Amino acid sequence: MRERFLVLCVFLLFPAVLPCPASAGGPLDQARETTDKILAILKDPGMKDASKAQEKKALIGKVVDERFDWEELSRRSLGRHWANRTEEERRAFVTLFRELLERTYLDRVEEYSGEQISYVGEKVDGDFATVEAKFLTAQRTEIPLLYRMRLKGDAWMFYDVVIEGVSLVGNYRNQFQSILSRRPYEELVRMLQEKVAEEQ
Amino acid sequence: MGKWKCGILAGILVFLLNVALALGQGEPGLGEIAVSARPAGEPDEFYDDYDDNDWYEEYHEYLPDPLEPINRAFFVFNDRLYFWVLKPAARGYKTVVPEKARISVRNFFKNLAFPVRFVNCLLQGKVEGAAEELGSFLLNSIGGMGGFFDISGAAGVRKHDEDFDQSLAVYGFGPGFYIHWPVLGPSTLRGTIGKTGDFFLDPLSYYGEYWYAPWSRGLNVVNDTSLRIGDYEALKRAALDPYVALRDAYYQNRLKKIEE
Repeated sequence: MRERFLVLCVFLLFPAVLPCPASAGGPLDQARETTDKILAILKDPGMKDASKAQEKKALIGKVVDERFDWEELSRRSLGRHWANRTEEERRAFVTLFRELLERTYLDRVEEYSGEQISYVGEKVDGDFATVEAKFLTAQRTEIPLLYRMRLKGDAWMFYDVVIEGVSLVGNYRNQFQSILSRRPYEELVRMLQEKVAEEQ
Repeated sequence: MGKWKCGILAGILVFLLNVALALGQGEPGLGEIAVSARPAGEPDEFYDDYDDNDWYEEYHEYLPDPLEPINRAFFVFNDRLYFWVLKPAARGYKTVVPEKARISVRNFFKNLAFPVRFVNCLLQGKVEGAAEELGSFLLNSIGGMGGFFDISGAAGVRKHDEDFDQSLAVYGFGPGFYIHWPVLGPSTLRGTIGKTGDFFLDPLSYYGEYWYAPWSRGLNVVNDTSLRIGDYEALKRAALDPYVALRDAYYQNRLKKIEE
């Protein structure tokens, strides 16, 4: 699971250097392009200094926003509860959830130590695609990865990561369902806010 | 073990299997894409509203958790056990034993568990897999100094991490419901039966005076944990409700393994 963290962290870093979303090639090519660039940044000696950590995270956060389909991810994570939310609440939720994920995972940027990602294949079905990859840890364990992507205009955007069969969206959806089956929505929002505050 | 004990154990297993059949819904068999059957108590219109291109959602089944209060209590118990006992032990062990050695020990125990994987591959009709596992076992045991070196892994031979839980799933047994065992961790009704079945195939069960081989198993657990310190903490950190996060992660991971 720490590996899962690292994977998610690298995953969130995908768009790190991608200035414009439009790119030739299918989902796998776009994913690989970004991964390669990210790994290059992670290996960049200029950014390795501890003082650059905040700068690195801020830069990454900004670029992640461009490539990650946060609304799709949030919508799927809330599942059937999304339909009952007002526009206002939805927007707030998307922002809050994004913040939680970024804070939780971006913090692990420091832990990068030579991990690699290799690509296996892709499956495209209209506007949706899945890209299969393998994450190679420092201890030479291979972790199977699956990215779910969706075409928005020219760009393939990520909306879920499945690590060893465990989907990020699915996992949070289960948690949210469990909480919302017993408590009101406001309580969930409060819990999320508390969690984000903890990560400071 | 005496004949009586064997008989009783077998009887209990059969009974539990029937319960699992009655309670659970069947898993999709190998190679099938099944529309997930949702039990009447938990309607989820979510799947109807959105695109139907989500392959995983067709598998994403709901795992009943009628024992939730008890499970949660055991979850807390295990949490304390981890932070107060297992993690300090693993940490101490980690400072004394270098990583390469710990990886070798892990390889050793993994190699030793060969009969479990081999038999379950056959039970699922995976003849190729069984052959690959046999080959790996021989190669690693002989060339790998008794299993300490994972030569077949380095050579790229595929691993088939099968167990009885997966075999039962392939036969159509549903998971039953979630059980979070103290010490042993997350499982399901079927998973528990699976572990019991595998127990008879595990060489460690026959080693030494005590049928449970506590020292060997203890070493295995501590060694394994030492290689994964941080995983559980990471899960807790990312989760709003770690109990549910773990339950879901366990089950989704199981579904994936069954699929393979």
